[in-house]
Amino acid sequence: MLFLQLLLNGLQTGAIYALTAAGFALIFGATRIFHFAHGTAFTLAGYAYLFAWRAGWPGWVGALIAVAVATLFGMAMERFVYRPIQRHEGSFFTVFVAAFGVGIVVQNLVGMFAGRGLATVDTRLSFATEVMPEIFVAPILWIAIATAAVLFAALTVFLTRTHAGVALRALAQNPDLIRTYGLSANGISVLAFAIGSALAAPAAIVTAMTSGLNEAIGHHVMLISIAATIVGGIGSLRGAALAGLMLGVAESLALQFVDTQWAEAVSFLALFAFILFRPSGIFGVAMAR
Amino acid sequence: MIAYLSNLATQLAIFGILAATLNFIVGYAGIFSIAHAVFFGLGAYAGAQIALLLVPDVVLACLFAAAIAGGLSLCLALPALRVRGEYFVAASLGLQMVAVTLFAELKPLTGGIGGLVGIPLPTLFGVPVGVLPVALAALALVLLATALLARGAFGRTLTAIRDAESAAEALGKNVAAAKTLAVGFACAGAGVAGALYALHTSFVNVESFTMEYSVLVMAMVIIGGTGTLWGPLIGTVILLSLPAGLAFLPFIPPSEVGAIQQILYGLAMTLLMIFRPAGLVGDLSRGRATA
Repeated sequence: MLFLQLLLNGLQTGAIYALTAAGFALIFGATRIFHFAHGTAFTLAGYAYLFAWRAGWPGWVGALIAVAVATLFGMAMERFVYRPIQRHEGSFFTVFVAAFGVGIVVQNLVGMFAGRGLATVDTRLSFATEVMPEIFVAPILWIAIATAAVLFAALTVFLTRTHAGVALRALAQNPDLIRTYGLSANGISVLAFAIGSALAAPAAIVTAMTSGLNEAIGHHVMLISIAATIVGGIGSLRGAALAGLMLGVAESLALQFVDTQWAEAVSFLALFAFILFRPSGIFGVAMAR
Repeated sequence: MIAYLSNLATQLAIFGILAATLNFIVGYAGIFSIAHAVFFGLGAYAGAQIALLLVPDVVLACLFAAAIAGGLSLCLALPALRVRGEYFVAASLGLQMVAVTLFAELKPLTGGIGGLVGIPLPTLFGVPVGVLPVALAALALVLLATALLARGAFGRTLTAIRDAESAAEALGKNVAAAKTLAVGFACAGAGVAGALYALHTSFVNVESFTMEYSVLVMAMVIIGGTGTLWGPLIGTVILLSLPAGLAFLPFIPPSEVGAIQQILYGLAMTLLMIFRPAGLVGDLSRGRATA
């Protein structure tokens, strides 16, 4: 029974991981920018929802604000940080350090203005009821899984059936050709950041309602997103989402054998193993690195 | 006042060693590790245990710490051999997170969250000695070794690997050995800094070896300028004197000094990368092309 309970908890965590990882993978796949501030978008979205909730606004308003905050943050990062750096052929490391700096600034600002430590949104949705003997499930579990499923379906349709989506995939393969066709590589790149960052918002809201936020949560989110992207295979959105789901389930199932503080270590052992033995990931194509 | 300045100088020397050794792998070998605090911590625990269980001899503690940290640097060298760039940063981040959990949980070796307390005052061959002169000597040694290694054939091999790994390999350079050695040297240096830190504060716990410290050291190297001899030292002086300077500003509440310091260096990192990617001391034309 414990196994089933942990599996269900794992699916909920996994759905959250899958959404954030897919956002990160979308941005990295399309623009080749290692968006290390993706966890910061998550933090901002989570705290935006928290503030809306504290102000007594209805949930859907808070959700809209959270999505807007994450999206604007992603677009601002592209426009004001990454684009100036790439103009002088910034190396991977330059991009990484710049994003890291932004992450530190936001983390401390959030700590100063929203308070340090755990902050949660209390809602009826996270009250668990006993659905089977010894199995407790809260409505938020189904909401998390359904949200993730709907968003992935929408994302797939967008990437395969719309002009913007096809252009986004084309950017990943050949930026020069994009320009030849008269499309703006910069515009598509902003679009990738907008969508990728928006995907972090629902995950942040669910996290705020369940395990809670803290000002440093961005690091954890970032690490999971990177781990899922690498384990799934760089450039594969499906891989990142699946790997995110698997990491969430693995972390939860591991609790049968170890204490909670080791849950994160499970993800990193998986990441470490993949880096050492299969750097191209599950769905990845072999790449020269 | 003398005690305050002596404490600040010791901290400067210890973090100077950390920044200089991290710069050695980041600036010359292109191995961007965000796990330097792990090896600092390994050295601190190793040095503390030697002092607690055997004798508080500062040289012995440093040597033991260097051996432990250098030996375990294989944890960092292995992924560095397999992958570079983004992948390696991810691996080193993972190592940092797992190591903090290990430090907090392995109570017999590290004292857990409570840490190791009551580390005796350091001696040298039985004579009581301050940490400051030893730390300064160690810093000088590390800088000398960095300068010599960087100028010699080994340094050129490393920069060749940094700039074009396959080209270096094609020229018959043993890439795996060079990377492993460079990581080993840097981590052993961080271990020495850790042992000195343990003897200086006479108390160590996991809070000094978290990702914040890895990032702080990384910020010192970057703000000063990677791949330069003096850049990391200048970065160390700037970042360590920042909290002291902020404490004198009356309008900042003392509880927020830490946060404001972090905001300042975070901003400095981002703005430098946008406008001056080579750092304060770095050579502009060179810093841009490295990857």
